[in-house]
Amino acid sequence: MPRFLKEFFDRNGLGIGSLMLGLVLFWTIGLIILPQLSMLDFSFRPNLPPPEIGGPKDVYTMENYRYLVFGPEGGSQSYNAVDLKVFYRTLIAAIFVTIFNLILCYPIAYYLAQTKGNHIRIFALMLIIPYWINEILRAFALRIIFGETGVLNNLLVAAGIFDTPFDFVRNDIALYAGLGYAYILLMIFPIYNVIESLDRNQIEAARDMGASWPMIHRRVVIPYAKPGISSGCTMVFMLSAGALAAPQILGGPSSLWFTQLIYQQFNDNSDWPQGAAYAVVLLVTCILLVLALMRVFKVNMGDIGK
Amino acid sequence: MKNLSLMRLSIWAYLAIFFAYLLGPLVIMSITAFNSPEFPRATPWECLTFEWFSALFQDERILNGIKNSILVGFGTVVLSVAMGLAGALMLTQIWPKLRATYYTIIIAPILVPGVVIGISTLVFWDRINRMLGLEADSFLSNGLFLTVIGQSTFIASYCMLVLVARLQRYDMALTEAALDLGATHAQAFRKVLLPFMKPAIASAAVLAFLASFENYNTTTFTFGEYPTLTIELAQKVRYGITPAISALAFIIVLLTVFAALFNEANIRRKELVALARKEATVEELSTGKFKMPGFLSSNWAAVGLVIVACATVVVVGTATVYSPQQCIADVQEQKRLETELRIQELQRQRELRRQQQEAEQGSSAAPAQSKPAGNDSGFGNVFAPSTLSGDAEEDAGKPEGNNSGFGGAFAPNTLSGEEGSEGSGN
Repeated sequence: MPRFLKEFFDRNGLGIGSLMLGLVLFWTIGLIILPQLSMLDFSFRPNLPPPEIGGPKDVYTMENYRYLVFGPEGGSQSYNAVDLKVFYRTLIAAIFVTIFNLILCYPIAYYLAQTKGNHIRIFALMLIIPYWINEILRAFALRIIFGETGVLNNLLVAAGIFDTPFDFVRNDIALYAGLGYAYILLMIFPIYNVIESLDRNQIEAARDMGASWPMIHRRVVIPYAKPGISSGCTMVFMLSAGALAAPQILGGPSSLWFTQLIYQQFNDNSDWPQGAAYAVVLLVTCILLVLALMRVFKVNMGDIGK
Repeated sequence: MKNLSLMRLSIWAYLAIFFAYLLGPLVIMSITAFNSPEFPRATPWECLTFEWFSALFQDERILNGIKNSILVGFGTVVLSVAMGLAGALMLTQIWPKLRATYYTIIIAPILVPGVVIGISTLVFWDRINRMLGLEADSFLSNGLFLTVIGQSTFIASYCMLVLVARLQRYDMALTEAALDLGATHAQAFRKVLLPFMKPAIASAAVLAFLASFENYNTTTFTFGEYPTLTIELAQKVRYGITPAISALAFIIVLLTVFAALFNEANIRRKELVALARKEATVEELSTGKFKMPGFLSSNWAAVGLVIVACATVVVVGTATVYSPQQCIADVQEQKRLETELRIQELQRQRELRRQQQEAEQGSSAAPAQSKPAGNDSGFGNVFAPSTLSGDAEEDAGKPEGNNSGFGGAFAPNTLSGEEGSEGSGN
């Protein structure tokens, strides 16, 4: 038995130690690493009926990835314009949702973190309650509001701003509002946590030396809150790029989210390898994008999740 | 100072807008649960009704979904709290060089899209199933099993974060002391560490259950024969929505508010009691004259809890005796009248238009085009619906802005939507 393993069992006892080790190994290897590798492996295989799996036709192929870029073999177009456009649109929209959320949530997080009093507890409660409601129901609530005969349209028409109901769903406004709505808390909490630990004297000192409010935020608060901001942005970006419920419920009929394509491959086309390939592409692209942005803004990986 | 008050005002305005965005949708959705139209809407208000609640309780699929959700939630709580605790303990003991890698691995599932977790779980266990040579309906491809496994993958990470926060304040010397005093490892774990971790375990369990209950992205790939409540809701919302969903949402909102207020009231009460104890004199404490603060005194959460409870009792009480039949009949009668009026109006307009056209044709030889509507594209365009409605507005000059077009006039939505501005008084 290696020395570190022996030390481990000495410290925890054989029973508790092996239980702990077993659970951790099951979680990290059985639930996290192997399934991801299995998905990666699967994405390089052709779509075969169950009896042929493992047979002579079951060889590695790039076909599923080729399909995303170039479309079906012998297709009329040289590129798979539809899927690529959906992919591109998903990423861009997710970035915009993230920026929107950051702008919306930063003042709130700052206010909550730097103000003391009973009403802050009430605000915190009001923040958390919507997050406990089902994701589907939150999207449903927004659909009631943004629908053609919904509350918002009735209000706007009654106020005379529009003559005819505006189709928020078809114009994707409902979708962006829904995605922003879904992840507000994930943006606020990391920023709040960091700003709360900021010593108020630093702000006072900056103000005493004549800094204006924008200056204080730019030079004192934001540099300090950078880990929280990047943590919140990463979570919101990853989750909105990977969102499925909001696009399914709030998306217009003609506009798809990339996750919906994955869903279609799995459930409608029964083409699992193709769906797995799309999922791998989504995952890898999102991770690369996050890492690139973290490098641009000079944030360390260790700051995320704090 | 004026500058400061302006700033304060803008802060409050911002907060108001923010919370309107956050809570407004939930409030409006709750209102639609009590409105009688078949399509969930808050305006126009027609009749107060409770029928959507009874429709909800008769929905077999929803009830079945709730049952599955609870089963899955239970399994997920057990598995992910256990894995989260083991993961958190391991984090404090692991070889320092491995710690960063290990932390990245166990934190990653939070960031990986739920869709990807669902797919990888499905693909992986399907392969294990085949490797073991089991049938397609074996335990490993069972929907309950896959859903619990898939959800636990990332929910365990949440639990781990909660548990690590508490574990950092644990003094390892306590366990060592217990071992020195002759306790076995299992005893030290069960009697020293677990009691210390209990509050964190409880909050991790609640968090895990809630996360499991509302999960959609992962479950949608793994549920198999066991659709959870979220899956059923998503199916319903995607293919035709009814106020029964609003009714369910209202119940969930109410339960959430209850739980949140209850929790908050408890915390606040503990604080108040601690404060009162601190301020009490030794004599008061020793003679037992120490007066506990009242449950409701300066505890806004408790006051809120009582108010919400009373409101619920009143609403449920009303629901058992209230019948909206008369009101619904009135509204239907009104709608019928409304439709008739509209049809007459349309006929009148058509008549007018016909006369106008005849007059136009009569004078078409004349060079002067004196038409007001700018309809200069000739005869053929007159029957296009958009032209019709555009003209109708100008011809009839109706005050309520009937611009929904000829084609839309018979759609029920348009009818009731406009009726609201006229007959919302009943």
